[in-house]
Amino acid sequence: MSVSVVMTVNGEVVAKHVEDRTLLVEFLREHLRLTGTHVGCDTSQCGACVVHANGKSLKSCTALAVQMDGAEITTIEGLANGDVLHPMQEAFRQNHGLQCGFCTPGMVMSAVDLVNENPDPSETEIREWLEGNICRCTGYHNIVKSISAGAKAMREGDPT
Amino acid sequence: MTDNNRGIGEAVVRREDSRFLQGRGQYTDDMNLAGQLFACIVRSQHAHATINSIDGSAAMAMDGVVSVLTHEDFAAYGGVPCGWGVNNKDGSPMAEPKHPILAEGVARHVGDPVAVVIAESPIIARNAAEHVQVSYSELPAVVSMQQALDASAKPIHGDTESNLCFDWELGDREAVDQAIAGAHHVTKLELINNRLVPNAMEPRCAIGDYNSATGDHTLYTTSQNPHVIRLLMGAFVLQIPEHKLRVVSPDVGGGFGSKIYHYAEEAIVTVAAMKLGKPVKWTSDRTEAFISDAHGRDHITTVELALDREGNFLALRESTHANMGAYLSTFAPAVPTYLHSTLLAGQYRTPVIYAEVKAVFTNTVVVDAYRGAGRPEASYLVERVVETAAREMGIDPVELRRKNFIKSFPHDTPVALTYDSGDYAATLDQAMIASDYAGFEARRAEAKQRGKLRGIGIACYVEACGVAPSNIAGALGARAGLYEAATIRVNPTGSISVLTGSHSHGQGHETTFSQLVADKLGIDYDSIDVVHGDTNRIPFGMGTYGSRSLAVGGTAIVNAVDKIIAKGKKIAAHLLEASEADIEFENGEFRVAGTDKMKPFAEIALTAYVPHNFPLEELEPGLEETAFYDPKNFTFPAGTYVCEVEIDPDTGTTEIVSFHASDDFGRIINPMIVEGQVHGGLVQGIGQALLEGCVYDTDSGQLISGSYMDYTMPRADDVPSFSVDTCVTECTHNPLGVKGCGEAGAIGAPPAVMNAIIDALSDYNVRHLDMPATPNKIWSIIHKASAAAA
Amino acid sequence: MDISGEQQIDAPRERVWEALNDPEILRQCITGCESLEKISDDEMKAEVLAKFGPVKAKFKAKISIEDQIPPASCRLVGEGQGGVAGFAKGAAVITLHESDGGTRLEYKADMQVGGKIAQIGSRLVSGTTNKIVGEFFEKFPTLL
Repeated sequence: MSVSVVMTVNGEVVAKHVEDRTLLVEFLREHLRLTGTHVGCDTSQCGACVVHANGKSLKSCTALAVQMDGAEITTIEGLANGDVLHPMQEAFRQNHGLQCGFCTPGMVMSAVDLVNENPDPSETEIREWLEGNICRCTGYHNIVKSISAGAKAMREGDPT
Repeated sequence: MTDNNRGIGEAVVRREDSRFLQGRGQYTDDMNLAGQLFACIVRSQHAHATINSIDGSAAMAMDGVVSVLTHEDFAAYGGVPCGWGVNNKDGSPMAEPKHPILAEGVARHVGDPVAVVIAESPIIARNAAEHVQVSYSELPAVVSMQQALDASAKPIHGDTESNLCFDWELGDREAVDQAIAGAHHVTKLELINNRLVPNAMEPRCAIGDYNSATGDHTLYTTSQNPHVIRLLMGAFVLQIPEHKLRVVSPDVGGGFGSKIYHYAEEAIVTVAAMKLGKPVKWTSDRTEAFISDAHGRDHITTVELALDREGNFLALRESTHANMGAYLSTFAPAVPTYLHSTLLAGQYRTPVIYAEVKAVFTNTVVVDAYRGAGRPEASYLVERVVETAAREMGIDPVELRRKNFIKSFPHDTPVALTYDSGDYAATLDQAMIASDYAGFEARRAEAKQRGKLRGIGIACYVEACGVAPSNIAGALGARAGLYEAATIRVNPTGSISVLTGSHSHGQGHETTFSQLVADKLGIDYDSIDVVHGDTNRIPFGMGTYGSRSLAVGGTAIVNAVDKIIAKGKKIAAHLLEASEADIEFENGEFRVAGTDKMKPFAEIALTAYVPHNFPLEELEPGLEETAFYDPKNFTFPAGTYVCEVEIDPDTGTTEIVSFHASDDFGRIINPMIVEGQVHGGLVQGIGQALLEGCVYDTDSGQLISGSYMDYTMPRADDVPSFSVDTCVTECTHNPLGVKGCGEAGAIGAPPAVMNAIIDALSDYNVRHLDMPATPNKIWSIIHKASAAAA
Repeated sequence: MDISGEQQIDAPRERVWEALNDPEILRQCITGCESLEKISDDEMKAEVLAKFGPVKAKFKAKISIEDQIPPASCRLVGEGQGGVAGFAKGAAVITLHESDGGTRLEYKADMQVGGKIAQIGSRLVSGTTNKIVGEFFEKFPTLL
């Protein structure tokens, strides 16, 4: 059954007719062609598809597009301020927090949500928070380092 | 203009990160071609079954379904080829059964592709796949290698005599037998190297496209080596000549070996696109990846180390069974043989070594190279048996290793390799200090007060990278050359495109190779671009695996740069009216030696493309050079890893409390990237030691660890931050002096972790424990010992 | 996977035997059973919606009843196809003993799953199956 969905994605209002069973991640990737949000598993374990829904991180494979009707969605494509990277993106770049880049969008979106909740997370808190994000390349060392640095930059207040 | 800050040795931040951090990468599944159709593959749910019939009519009748393909649609084509042949002890060739694109009458593992549904959307394809009726008659499955080799076991292939693929040997058996018989002490271990699933985060994907007007095929695929896929699929499977087949591997989300191989799905979408006249896309989901990506490791080994009274190694003997899975994947036969037994000397002077390896077919997914490929298995058995010998003989494990180290180079091992350089004492000493090895007993005592069992373990690994001299690889069974190609295209205004046959899927080549060229040419890093992953844009390539990109691909780049400089000197000599022999090139300037007469690189480039004042009689215009580099030897990175663990005796959980790595990778181009490679390798190694294990039901052959809920991927809270350091001895046979760093962590970490666990359990009389060392296994050991003591 | 157990039922053996052969009673006792019909004296077919952890599928099952010794024992052999979710198959021996004025029903079953259920849900199969069996025997006596 086709249903209509209206939501704000990266600041733009989008309205589409989709099959009722369309997942949010499919809506973003297939209908809006926002392919920065990735699919790394089919059991909601890997976290490559994390986006923000109304300011909170969400695995976009766990929600139907229709459930997000009226929501504000931010994907990795909408995080930077024009050409200026979000402090968390910049921290990942400066600290080599990514290699193949596939888990990265989910990691960054998840990290921003962590820092919104906990502005000064310890290494242990960062590692525990990342329980739902799998990376196979970095060994997490530099991701943890990046998030610490990103948190510091966010605290020091670049209000991106 | 020299770019001093972004040359060799600088921790330059990666240029690929801008796109990845903003969601602007382009992975294969991000691509969508106009009019594209979607393939869903019907896979066998049985480990071994006769396929009686396949009825696609109900699926075909569904709205939006375009085609249902079965084996008959591929009857005109070849099977999936194997790229490496290994001979038996008697010189006869290995058994090489046919590997059809779609199962031909028999399905041989859970996940074996049986039929393909092609439809207008992924959902329609998936729904329709449910309606393809396949009638199976189940056959007994052989799951373990013991079952497969049992005299009563039927061969799983109709065209082989048994389930033995090959029975291979290396080394002087008689000398080893004699040395072991006369030794003061022999340590014998039986160990299992657990089967792993590579699990690159990006699932595989392939899109076939065909232009019927020109006859041109394009395959977009998640591959580590697009040229190799073009060769294997074009020449051996579909008979498409190279000039009619373009293979593109755009951004690829990790490989770790699993994306080296030519997979059936690549041929399926290529054929389907041609038959249907529309692009066809297949994207694996994770569940499908578990039963269709090549797995890694899966060895069962008996190893014996013979020592004299003083602890000098006299001989080492290995007998291994290696699981090939149901078919032979691209490099599978090379992994337990030439990439494995040749490393059994490790860092030691062991005078004689003998290895025999039996490769076995089973009703499981194919097994091939996974990060380290054969070398982690070698390093694991050597470092476990050395550790065990030290404990049995009451010798300090560090001193036993040091005593037996190879100290002079080049060194010929008894297993066919010549190590060109190294300083094993240097990495060991560095690791001892960095890990405060001397202070360990105090930490152990402190942990004991907290009720924790603390242990320390070391591993001294060596590996062979930069595969390989083609003539040697060819003599050992490789069916391809293993050089690398690069083109330096200097554009008219002096910017540079580096076309490389290496492929980056996380390694940061776009950054490292630019640093290399910036440094060599003394020009601005930002004026250099690296192009990879497209057979139509790059002259040739053998791809990225075996930590070869810098040692082999980087050398090809340097050699092409040297040709550019040589031609530039000729042009400069003409412009400066000097003899070519007097022209020096430094910091981006061609200069007449001893004078201030010079021409900058950009002017030479422009002159080459606007040859108004140019020696056209002697020299072609343009400035573009290609080099093919075939290495003279492998490179031999080596190092020492120290792992410290704490075990909670109440739960059996192991925490890695510290981990130090000291590696010798030769000269380092970008230390930041090198550290990142080490971290990633370490966690895959720690994953193997503590968490990961691919489990099949031994009766039914069903994969029961087939998702991220069942197969334990290392997560951030499973591992610590690491201490990583390097020592440098340069490789002697490539101009950069580089050795390669991609696999080291995965090779050195498993024995370091397991040695630490055995040390922590020293009160419980545990001699050996197989990986993964799960809390359940450790708790059972402690519990059993406590019960016995009570 | 082996499942075995026994259940005391407060009804005569003949009645229990009859009920075990009554498609309508069976349908009501099997959680998720949408249809169950007897095709012949020794064959039944059924559709059951079952959920093994995250894998939910409608299984189309064929069950044959072998070695029938009324009212004492029989052997059930079944196979259920759940499409892409995979398959389940098994066999069960059911024995009825006269006991304490009622009937003691003993069962011993061997079950195997394949495909996605094995891959993702195998940890959960024995739990789920025990639950279905438990619910069966909770309901069964109430319908006699």
